[in-house]
Amino acid sequence: MTPERFFEIRCLALVASIALGVVVRVTAQTPTAQPPPEPRALTAGTHRSFVDCPVVRDTNTVPCWLAEHDGELYYLGIQTDISADFHPPYLGHRALVEGVVKDGARICGGIVLDPVNVSTLPEIDGTCNTILPAEDRYQVPFAPRPPGPSAGRLAFAPPPGAASAKPALTGPQEFTIEYDFDTPIMGRHSGVLTRIYDYAAQTHARHLLVTGYRGATLLSDGSVMTERETMPEARAKEVATLLIGAGLPRGAIEVGWSTDVAPPDGDGDWHVRRTVVRVEP
Amino acid sequence: MPCSALARRRRATLAVGLVGAAAAFAARIALGAGDAARGWWAPGQGGTLPAESSYPNPSGRLGVLSASGPVEATGQPFFTPLGKNGRACVTCHQPSDAFSLSVDTIRARWDATGGGDPLFAAIDGANCPNLAVADPKSHSLLLSRGLIRVFLPWPPRARDGGAIEPEFTIEVVRDPTGCNTSPEYGLTSAHPTISVFRRPRPVANLRYVTAAEFGVGPFNAKDSQPTARDPDTGRLVNMQLMADAREPTLATQAQSAVVTHLEAKPLGAAALQKLIGFETQVFAAQIDDVRAGALVEPNGPAAFGPHALSVGRTSVLGNNTTNYVFPIGDAWRQITRTGEAAHDARSAAREAIARGHDVFFFRTFWIKDAMHINTVGLGNPAKRTCATCHGMHMTGMDTANGWMDIGTTNLPWASETPQNPWTKDKPEMPLFKLTCDKALAPHPFLGRVIYTQDPGRALITGRCNDIGTIVMQQFRGLAARAPYFSNGSARDLRELVDFYDRRFNIQYSEQEKQDLVAFLAAL
Repeated sequence: MTPERFFEIRCLALVASIALGVVVRVTAQTPTAQPPPEPRALTAGTHRSFVDCPVVRDTNTVPCWLAEHDGELYYLGIQTDISADFHPPYLGHRALVEGVVKDGARICGGIVLDPVNVSTLPEIDGTCNTILPAEDRYQVPFAPRPPGPSAGRLAFAPPPGAASAKPALTGPQEFTIEYDFDTPIMGRHSGVLTRIYDYAAQTHARHLLVTGYRGATLLSDGSVMTERETMPEARAKEVATLLIGAGLPRGAIEVGWSTDVAPPDGDGDWHVRRTVVRVEP
Repeated sequence: MPCSALARRRRATLAVGLVGAAAAFAARIALGAGDAARGWWAPGQGGTLPAESSYPNPSGRLGVLSASGPVEATGQPFFTPLGKNGRACVTCHQPSDAFSLSVDTIRARWDATGGGDPLFAAIDGANCPNLAVADPKSHSLLLSRGLIRVFLPWPPRARDGGAIEPEFTIEVVRDPTGCNTSPEYGLTSAHPTISVFRRPRPVANLRYVTAAEFGVGPFNAKDSQPTARDPDTGRLVNMQLMADAREPTLATQAQSAVVTHLEAKPLGAAALQKLIGFETQVFAAQIDDVRAGALVEPNGPAAFGPHALSVGRTSVLGNNTTNYVFPIGDAWRQITRTGEAAHDARSAAREAIARGHDVFFFRTFWIKDAMHINTVGLGNPAKRTCATCHGMHMTGMDTANGWMDIGTTNLPWASETPQNPWTKDKPEMPLFKLTCDKALAPHPFLGRVIYTQDPGRALITGRCNDIGTIVMQQFRGLAARAPYFSNGSARDLRELVDFYDRRFNIQYSEQEKQDLVAFLAAL
C-alpha cells in the first residue's frame, strides 16, 4: 500500500466516523431506537484483538511490523533476530493480533500494543501484501541490531553466565508450549522442546505426560474465534512424536488431550493455546 | 603478563604465523612447486597428491592443500576403483574442481573417451540406466548441467526402516529423462522410485561442513524437527553433508555412495577410516585471480586460500562484525594507484573483490517467501543480507541445519525453458506435482499444490514444508566447479547472482553484480 492509499483509507475512516456520528445523533432523537454502543476508547490498557492483514514499514534500519484494522494502525514490533520474543508475522497471510494498548507515542505511525501476541493464520491470503516505504519521520533508534550483521551476538541472547545463575530443576516439572492460533509446532519452539528433552534425559524421566489443549479468543468486535477441535490431539501427538524422534523412550510418554474450550475474556487468551508436558523423573 | 595480554600476544603470533604460511604457499605455487596441470585424475592411476597443488580455472587458479602431507593414491580408497563400474570417489570429486566436478571437465572427459569413462556409468551418469550407452542424449543432464541421477524410494522410509507417511502425493508432470515414468525404474515400478538430478558437492574443507558446535541441538531451530545423530556415537550432527541431508555422517555418506555410485560392496572399517581421514584433511580455495593476481599474500585478505581454511575456526557464526563470514580486512580497499597499468588494473580488481564482499555482507534486500528462512522468526519478508543465511565463518554455509527453499527447484522461481511457437528447446528437467494433505496447514508460501523439479528434503521427510528445500553449499572453490545450485541451473556466477536478483527483487546495480561475482570467484 502506498502512503497515499493509506491516507485515503484514513480519510475514508474519518468520513465514515463523521457519518456515523450524524446517524447516532439522528437516531438518538428517535424515542424507539436502542442506544448506540459506546465506541471503545483506545486508552492505555484497552484490549485490542482482531484479524487483519499485517503491514511492514521499511525504515532506514530495521522494518516495523504493523497491522491495520478499522482504519487504525497498530504497532506490533520490529524485526530483530531469532532470539527475540516478538516474531513478526507473514505477508501473504492474515494475522490474529491480540494485544493491549500502551500509553505513549506512536511508533512507526502505529498505536503501540504491548503486550502483544501475533498469530500468522495458516491459510494464504494474497491481499496481505503491503510494504510501506521508509520515511524519515519513522525511526526506530531502539533497534537492538541492524538489518544486517550484528555487533557480535544475538539481540536478546542472555548474557554469558545467565543460564548458570538459574537454580537447577529437580523433581516433577511442567513445561508449557504456547502456539499460534490453529497452528502446530514451529521453528521457534525448538528452545522449549530442547528444555523438555534435556530435563527428561538428564533425570532419566520414567514418565512424561503430554497434554494438548485448544483455545478461543475474544475479538474486539465481540465475536469469538475458536481453534479447531482436532488441534489438542494433533498438538499432543506431534510433541510426543518429536520427543521420541529426539531419542526419548516411546514407552515413557503418555499422550492426552482436552477439546474443552474455556470462555475467552480477551485478556491473554493466547496462553490457553498450549501443550503441557509434565516430566516425572 | 595479564591473561588478556597473553591472549592478544598469542593471537598476534598466530596471525603472523598464518600470514607467513600463506605467503609461503603462494610463493611455492607461483614457483610451480607441487603444481599439477589441470587434468583428469583417473581412478586407480596411482601417483601422489602433493601437500600443495594448484589447478587453473577460468577465473585463475585453485589451491589444494593436503594438510597431513602428500597422499599416495594407491591404497587410498578415495582414488581406488572399488566396484564393477570402475569409478572411485575421485571420479566425481576431482582435485582440480575443488573436489567437485565442473561441467567443463565432464565435457572434456566425454570428448576424450567418447563417453566410455566410468563417469558416464549407466547407474547414475545417464539420465536413466535403460538408455543407450555412449549416446550423448542418454547423458544430457550430466553433459549440459553436470547432474548425477539420485534415485530415492517413494514413499520415504526412516533410517531405522520405519514407514513415513508423506504429507503429500506426488505425480510426474514432465519426464524428459524417461526415468520417472519407466516401468523398470520409475514411480510405478515394482520398487517405486523418484529420480532427481543433482550436482556433486565438494569433498574439501569438510571440517567446517561437519562441525556441529554452534546452532545444533536436539531439535532443528528452523522447524523443530529432531536433529539426526551419528549412528555410531549418538552425537548430534549438523546435517549439512548432502543436498537433502539424508546421510548424517561422512561414514554413512561414504558407504551409501560406494554402494550406489560405485556399485561396490560397503567398505570395511579400516578402509572407511582411511577414506574419511583423507577427506577431512584436504582444503581447497582459489589462490589466484586472473585480474587481481595472487589472492594469498602477506597482509592480504585473511580468508583466502586453503591454508586459511586449514587453521580457521569451525562452528563460528560469522554474520556479525566481530567474526566476519569471510574476513578480508582493509588492505584491498582504496589501493593507491602508481600509474603503472598492470599494477593499477590489479588494484582495481582487488577493490572490486572488496566491494563485492561488502555487497555480500552489508547490502540489504527483502528476503520473501523463502521456506525455513522467513519462517524461523524473522518474519516475511525480512530485510537482511546474503550473510544472514550464508553465515558460517570461512565457508558461507548455514551454521545450523541448513535446508531452505529459495526457489531454485520450486516453481514459479526455478529456471524453466520458455515454451512458445518460436523455439524448439524443450525442458531438460523433470517436473513433479505435489499435492499437500488438505487436512493439514498449507505450505505458507506455495499453498497445497506445488510444482517442482526436485522435491529436495521432502523426499526424505515427506513433509509439505520441506518441498524444494535444499541444504546450502559452501562457497569455497566456486570458480573451479560451475555450474551452480543443486540442479546446475546457474551456468556461471553471474547467472547465480542474477537468479538472486530476480528472485528477491534486489535491484542490484550492474556494478554491484560485477563486484559480487568478482568476490565469489575469489573464494
